[in-house]
Amino acid sequence: MTDAPGNSPYSLRLSGVTKAFGSIPVIQDVDLDIRAGERHAVIGPNGAGKSTLFNLISGLFPLSGGDIRLHGRSIAGLSPHRINRLGLARSFQISNIFHRMSVFENLRIGVLARHGIRFGLFRPVDRMRRINDETDAILARVGLTARAHDLAGDLTYSEQRALEIGMTLTTGADVILLDEPTAGMSREETARAIDLIRTVSEGKTLLMVEHDMSVVFSLCDRVSVLVYGNILATDTPAAISANRAVQEAYLGEEADI
Amino acid sequence: MRTIIPAAILLIALLAVPPFLGLGWQNALVNLLIASLFALAFNLLSGQAGLLSFGHAAYFGVGAFATLHLMIAVEDGLPFPTPLLPLAGAGAGLAVGLVAGVFATKRSGVYFALVTLAIAELFHSLAPHLQGWFGGESGISAMRMPWGGFVFGSLLEVYYLTLGWVVLSILVLWAYTRTPFGRLTLALRDNEQRVRFLGYDAHAAKVVVFTISAMFSGVAGALLAISNETANYALFSAHVSAQVVLHTFVGGATIFLGPVIGAVVFTLFAYIVSDLTRSWLFYQGLIFVLVMLYAPIGIGGVIRHHLRHWRSIDWSRLAAPYALAGVGGAMIAGGVVFLTECVAILFGEEYAVAMRDAGDTLPPFEMAGMSWDPLGPASWLPPILLLSIGGLCLHRARDRIKPLWDAIEGGAAKEGTR
Repeated sequence: MTDAPGNSPYSLRLSGVTKAFGSIPVIQDVDLDIRAGERHAVIGPNGAGKSTLFNLISGLFPLSGGDIRLHGRSIAGLSPHRINRLGLARSFQISNIFHRMSVFENLRIGVLARHGIRFGLFRPVDRMRRINDETDAILARVGLTARAHDLAGDLTYSEQRALEIGMTLTTGADVILLDEPTAGMSREETARAIDLIRTVSEGKTLLMVEHDMSVVFSLCDRVSVLVYGNILATDTPAAISANRAVQEAYLGEEADI
Repeated sequence: MRTIIPAAILLIALLAVPPFLGLGWQNALVNLLIASLFALAFNLLSGQAGLLSFGHAAYFGVGAFATLHLMIAVEDGLPFPTPLLPLAGAGAGLAVGLVAGVFATKRSGVYFALVTLAIAELFHSLAPHLQGWFGGESGISAMRMPWGGFVFGSLLEVYYLTLGWVVLSILVLWAYTRTPFGRLTLALRDNEQRVRFLGYDAHAAKVVVFTISAMFSGVAGALLAISNETANYALFSAHVSAQVVLHTFVGGATIFLGPVIGAVVFTLFAYIVSDLTRSWLFYQGLIFVLVMLYAPIGIGGVIRHHLRHWRSIDWSRLAAPYALAGVGGAMIAGGVVFLTECVAILFGEEYAVAMRDAGDTLPPFEMAGMSWDPLGPASWLPPILLLSIGGLCLHRARDRIKPLWDAIEGGAAKEGTR
């Protein structure tokens, strides 16, 4: 439990994480280790606490108990921007972008943060070559180059989801949390999103909430099943889908997936 | 180039014309410039960062009082160049804005607005009791001292000093929008939560925006202090805070120079109309309501909309319905003014006296140099005709303008998807 910061084999370690809203427990004593460089999915029925878990890890909600370590360093109680600067970025279930700014500017805000130009007041941003080149590179990676100068609010749904993923890349975080990145997408769009997530998460640690088992199978190394705020099992996708307890608790009741 | 040439022409006019104007107009221009800067500083917070403050009078007033204190010190022999006096306003605005900003920006939306309102009210209620700082109820006064060959005795000199500071401030505020922090300001307005998850301390960022806005408000207050050579606690009143909100939203909060348009329109309106009628504040409020209802993007927004589609506007077809709308609008305005002035007279004190003298009947009243009988149908026919014909004109004009604009915007949308 007392890994020296920096050389932990785990990107993210949750130990005894607990969250209650008032007297209602939502997350109960969750232990979860995410290995450096793996792609890990959290699945579970609606209301199991998946999004709450993400909000705890990323610092939106304070913990009621337990500890979370990022690269061996405790991040419990830190504010979202501190956690981001330590190398963790997240996307949101509902598109959470800057609607009235251009796609390019949406991404540039994050690139500026990565370079520590947070409160730059003395140089025009359009002349910052390195920043703009880097933004262009991320635009190309998420396939939005042609839409660079359109308002983010005018993008199609799946383009906004791609922009969301792009924004998690901008700050240079090596641990990425994606909250249902393919929700609401057509089969075709989902396939493209999977390809995108696979390439952009190369060399990084990925933790995602996902409903679609086919996405989990094609992307992830390991899966954790969250039911009523408890981790039921953590294993490879194949082992999880063969697990009887999981089938009863979750897969069984939604046999169509 | 398209913006530089008109800006240069405007600047030359602002430099060359005032010496030929009377004192009244020179004074109006000074007030217009100050209101423009104040509105622009306010809109940095309201339009760009999305934080609607209802208490910006606090920073405006603090800037004015700090400048007057510096002017008193100069009177007593402190060697400080008169043209740099607004630095005192900037400093005071910055300091008070920083402290107020730390608290106010902990909240957003309605709560933010209420906290800013409370802070301004705090100043408004404390100032009359603080003799040393704000000079009690009568306020404080100081004289402009000559400096380096300038006497600063004439209003024209004050005008040029004001112009210099306002132009400089506008340029700085414009440059601000192009910096990384200027872009972050817009991002805060759009989605503060996401800003935090991108590694920014959103609260600190909001404090910085608040402080810069308060600083430039302080400069505007300083310029007023220099021009008036006096200030009292009324500068902190909710009326001053409301005025800047009015200017900004009528001008257009989403356009950089929109607040300036609103400040110019309302300052000129006040200067011209307040001499003609005591109901001018009512008309001002009416204009605000109409703009919010029918053109919430503000005057600046309407202008920008036309400029954006300039090439696809067929003026030969649009000019006639626009003229018709103008005529209809003018007739309705005439009817409303007629009724408003009638009401003001009929329910006024003078008329009450006249009524008593006439033995509790309704005597004829005097308006616009003519005598009107309050019970005669001929008195009420003009406003009824003006309102109904004006309404018809506007209705017809709208029916003709709408399809033309639909075609213009439809064409633009098609171009966008190509």
